[in-house]
Amino acid sequence: MISDREAAKYPFLNDAVTYVETLGLTLENLVDPSYTGVLERGERRVSQAILSGEATVELEDTLTELLSFPVANMFITAMAEEYLFRRYALSEAARAHELLKDEAEERIAKLARLEFGWDLRLVQERVGEKLYRFEAHFKDYLKNAASFREPEWKLVNRLIRNGYVLLTKRDASRLLQEEIQRRIGSLVSKRRRISLPDPLRIRVNNLQKLFDENRSRLTGQALPTKLLTEALPPCIRHAFQGLMAGRRASHMERFALTSFLINAGMGIDDIVKLFASITDFDEQFTRYQIEHIAGLRGSRTRYTPPTCSTLKTHRVCYEPDRLCERIKHPLSYYRIKVRDYQRE
Amino acid sequence: MAEQDRGNEQYITEQFKRYYATEAQRVEAPPEIRRREFGFLSFGGRTMFRHIGFQDPQQFRGYLREYAPAHTYFSAAYYKDPRASMAEKGWLGADLVFDIDSDHFDLPCQKEHDRWTCRTCGKEGKGHPPETCHDCKKATFIEETWLCENCLRAAKYEAQKLLDILIEDFGFQASGELSVNFSGNRGFHVHVRSPSAKELDQLARREIVDYIRGIGIEAEYQGLIARRGRGGTASEQRGWRGRSIRALYDFIAEATPEQIKGLKLGRGASLNLIESRDEILTALMNKQPSRVVKYIDGKSMGKLLEAAVREQASAIDTVVTTDLRRLIRLPNTLHGKTGWLTQNIPIDDLADYDPLTQAIAFTEGTERVFINRAPEIVLSGETYGPFEEESLELPLAVAIFLLCKNAARVER
Ligand code: SF4
Ligand SMILES: [Zn+2]
Ligand SMILES: [Zn+2]
Repeated sequence: MISDREAAKYPFLNDAVTYVETLGLTLENLVDPSYTGVLERGERRVSQAILSGEATVELEDTLTELLSFPVANMFITAMAEEYLFRRYALSEAARAHELLKDEAEERIAKLARLEFGWDLRLVQERVGEKLYRFEAHFKDYLKNAASFREPEWKLVNRLIRNGYVLLTKRDASRLLQEEIQRRIGSLVSKRRRISLPDPLRIRVNNLQKLFDENRSRLTGQALPTKLLTEALPPCIRHAFQGLMAGRRASHMERFALTSFLINAGMGIDDIVKLFASITDFDEQFTRYQIEHIAGLRGSRTRYTPPTCSTLKTHRVCYEPDRLCERIKHPLSYYRIKVRDYQRE
Repeated sequence: MAEQDRGNEQYITEQFKRYYATEAQRVEAPPEIRRREFGFLSFGGRTMFRHIGFQDPQQFRGYLREYAPAHTYFSAAYYKDPRASMAEKGWLGADLVFDIDSDHFDLPCQKEHDRWTCRTCGKEGKGHPPETCHDCKKATFIEETWLCENCLRAAKYEAQKLLDILIEDFGFQASGELSVNFSGNRGFHVHVRSPSAKELDQLARREIVDYIRGIGIEAEYQGLIARRGRGGTASEQRGWRGRSIRALYDFIAEATPEQIKGLKLGRGASLNLIESRDEILTALMNKQPSRVVKYIDGKSMGKLLEAAVREQASAIDTVVTTDLRRLIRLPNTLHGKTGWLTQNIPIDDLADYDPLTQAIAFTEGTERVFINRAPEIVLSGETYGPFEEESLELPLAVAIFLLCKNAARVER
């Protein structure tokens, strides 16, 4: 059995979810004035996600804190905004991380093992200035750290032996934050219609309004329809110039360039023309490939360009500049640069 | 490469058929055969037959006997329904696979035995083709690639480094979880079969690739820029830490002053590397990397490390490992570009393994062939060639190799 306080702290835990279920709350219950506090807190969790991206910890009234979590989840699912699924999961995971980082090592280990199935051991090893308290199997490490871009998280910069990666307490709680974010993301991102009683509906509408007001700030402006070559990231510029010069391009380079151009809003006909004019590829083949990447053929998924780290692995990344240090994706580079140009 | 002669195709197919008639029985099917996709290429065939599935090893061997494919592949992945289209297969996981191909290396011997011809203007050269032709600036070439003991030795060395990393750092079991195969042509494949490898997603596999190639390594995290690090404890030698110190040691010990200047390090660092080389090497040997800091500034250390790790990293192909749906050559089947076997090698035997003797499939008989042009080749300890426009009666293994390489035709 989980304590009220533990459940309020980590309401996404399996035990906490089961605990809430045993209370047997229904939508009708929630409309009762005695639950106004829960609804308010639920609404605030969502607005915090929208506004600051990190929900606060409010443990004065543990039951309200606990029950407001499924309520907030419901609001998010009802809003059905793709973008918010992620942002909300991130916000709640950041909240959990705030609490986790001050837990005892044993508590962290238990959570990692029992909730997320990590293969993790407690250790005590000092290396230089760092005190390592855990070692985790590399598969659990990579599941969570592989998308981080800071060099300290790259496996190659880690102490690993026999399949286990040394972690400080700070590392472990950061990695758990990823697990938590994924779990919450999958809790809320279900596509289903929810019909809510009016008092709840009103709150969802308020939140929707709040999100609409912040939408462009959060999701970024649309890209211009004409390609702004001055704003291309170094890798794409290099691939582009290489193509012009008739240099042999690797498959990955070609793919990165094509998918980048498609996603940057260049028309398929224009891309075909561009490629056909400078390579000895026959037009049909080029068009076929481009349409495939654009999602007009085959699996019908539109491909997005690979991330910077993928491009680094395949050596397509080329002379990254200052801006590159701040982004994970060549399209983000382009977006930022385009915005700068538009401001001028 | 130029198109294969129709007569050659027929002849090699017959030989492959003859081989599989007796030897198919010995080809081991991959574990969990029902979950694997198979793919085959025939001689002269341009597209691969993919999405093929088998119920059991017998059915699969029957296929080899009947069609005697030029190339036989299977999926590293496990699928619910291997015969379905890609979108509907139902991916269940995949072995972690590595490909080492000496064609991607830059070796002196390649300048001896490889050639290219510009498709547009006919300019010729040796070694790897340039990015674009110097004369006509076009970028398509006909390539004639060969191999020798030297390329194979280089590939084997990379495979050994890879295995060390997989065992020491990743903790895979040498017996049971790892298998090494000679690719049948210019390289080696390593397969990892373990529950923890099977579930790795693409992002995770990419990180593993970067790890093995030493990509993204930074001196700061290798204890090489630490201000107060002491060094010496066992965990400080974990993973790349120990390896990068060894890498630096070897690199600095062997580098010529010219090489060091070529790295464009800071002026002080370059000078110290030449003048205080012994002090630096002693500090590294005593595993006191922090003592090196006073000789080499942080930025220079980064550059130096990057150059040094290349020697300790393993030059695996980056695409193969990160492709979750890759087809790879099945061990103990014939390779249509050499007529040799793709061969499984017990890990303990790898050090002494010699593909040019052990992977030979056609060990008996001779054949008369007309050879256009081919460099020297050593098979089973005997040296043949170089050849130039001549007709010769050769051991079958040599004849088939030259035919597969499309450098000869059968004279009947
Ligand atoms: S960091 Fe990213 S955007 Fe910048 S050059 Fe490298 S791959 Fe391109
Ligand atoms: Zn030319
Ligand atoms: Zn060679």
